[in-house]
Amino acid sequence: MEYVNPEGLRLDGRRFSEMRQIVAEIGVVSKADGSALFEMGNTKVIAAVYGPREIQNKSQQKIDRALVLCEYSMAHFSTGDRRRQKNDRRSTELSLVIRQTMEACILTELMPHSQIDIFLQVLQADGGTRSACINAATLALADAGIPMRDLAVSCSAGYLNSTPLLDLNYVEDSAGGADVTVGILPKLDKVTLLQMDAKLPMETFETVFALASEGCKAIAERIREVLLENTKQLEYRRGAA
Amino acid sequence: MTKLVTPGDKLGSATQFKAGKGAYVNDTTIYASLTGYFQIVSPLPESLDQRAIVEVTGHKAHGLIPEPGSVVTARVTKVIARMASVNILCVGPKAVREKFAGIIRQQDVRATEIDKVDMHQSFRPGDIVRAMVLSIGDARAYYLSTAKNELGVVSAESAAGETMVPISWTEMQCPLSGQTEQRKVAKVV
Repeated sequence: MEYVNPEGLRLDGRRFSEMRQIVAEIGVVSKADGSALFEMGNTKVIAAVYGPREIQNKSQQKIDRALVLCEYSMAHFSTGDRRRQKNDRRSTELSLVIRQTMEACILTELMPHSQIDIFLQVLQADGGTRSACINAATLALADAGIPMRDLAVSCSAGYLNSTPLLDLNYVEDSAGGADVTVGILPKLDKVTLLQMDAKLPMETFETVFALASEGCKAIAERIREVLLENTKQLEYRRGAA
Repeated sequence: MTKLVTPGDKLGSATQFKAGKGAYVNDTTIYASLTGYFQIVSPLPESLDQRAIVEVTGHKAHGLIPEPGSVVTARVTKVIARMASVNILCVGPKAVREKFAGIIRQQDVRATEIDKVDMHQSFRPGDIVRAMVLSIGDARAYYLSTAKNELGVVSAESAAGETMVPISWTEMQCPLSGQTEQRKVAKVV
């Protein structure tokens, strides 16, 4: 099947280095300490953050740092086929992966004896859900005022029809080619997440990785804009100078 | 005009500045850890480190915590022989985000005749009391005291269900039934 036509257009009309449209909104769950809605094309994810709050399970508590708990779940209507039950392997793996990524980014030593809960709910899945979840979690943590080292951002890239492609959607992801998900801390220039399905020769991998990192930096810019805009709105509503 | 920053933004060098709230040091650079306005605060003249402090003020007010010496408003949950358990609701004029447990021990109810205090004649479950934080206490609760004229029960419901009116520092009267009940009443000016 042709995923990139001779003119260089993909199935949805994008070029190889074009990302899908991003929509990012803060404060969508008013009960949570911080929350965000993040959309990458048709993939929609909501993140809600509660914390830092008193630790609920004393046996898990860490004396010198905060405990970060993360739960990833997909709504039953998020994909075409009705989802299986909650604790399936993929959800458990993604919860762990996202938790590790966010834990590396949060300054946990500033909040000993407490816990931070990150809840991620996928409302619509069209490829790149783990990236959308990490981006949504970053926005929600920033909204909650939880101190972080940097904004953890994530993007995926693949390799089909001998072309590296940025931000794969579900059809491109299921094509059987490689899918590289990268998570970085842009200002500190560090990689916090690197996952790949299938196999790639080393030089190709480096090209695909570089493309995904560029995508991450663009998302970081967008997230930064959204945060600054939100802060200005709050100041304006409060009537401050 | 202060600048808006997001987590990860470089704020300065650690040789020139010290990292305050909302900022952290990595290697020799100071980065922001919160989203908000960043400002430079000059150091106190008597401090040893004369570097200016870089701070970022976020918009989410984080957890107000009772400090020793602060006056808190609490609701009584349980009264037993030698102490009363309370839930701290406000610290000063501000409400707290999550409830804190507090204890008023028999010897901290009033300033005089502290061993003759009858807890059931000082507090009842459901009363709203104003107390002062003595110390952080143990893992379970803060230690509070009502041993001052202006501390004690500020609002209580009588057996008939009406809010009672204070008569003296030991009694409150129900306006509906006329019955008086014993409490350690706060002198609210």
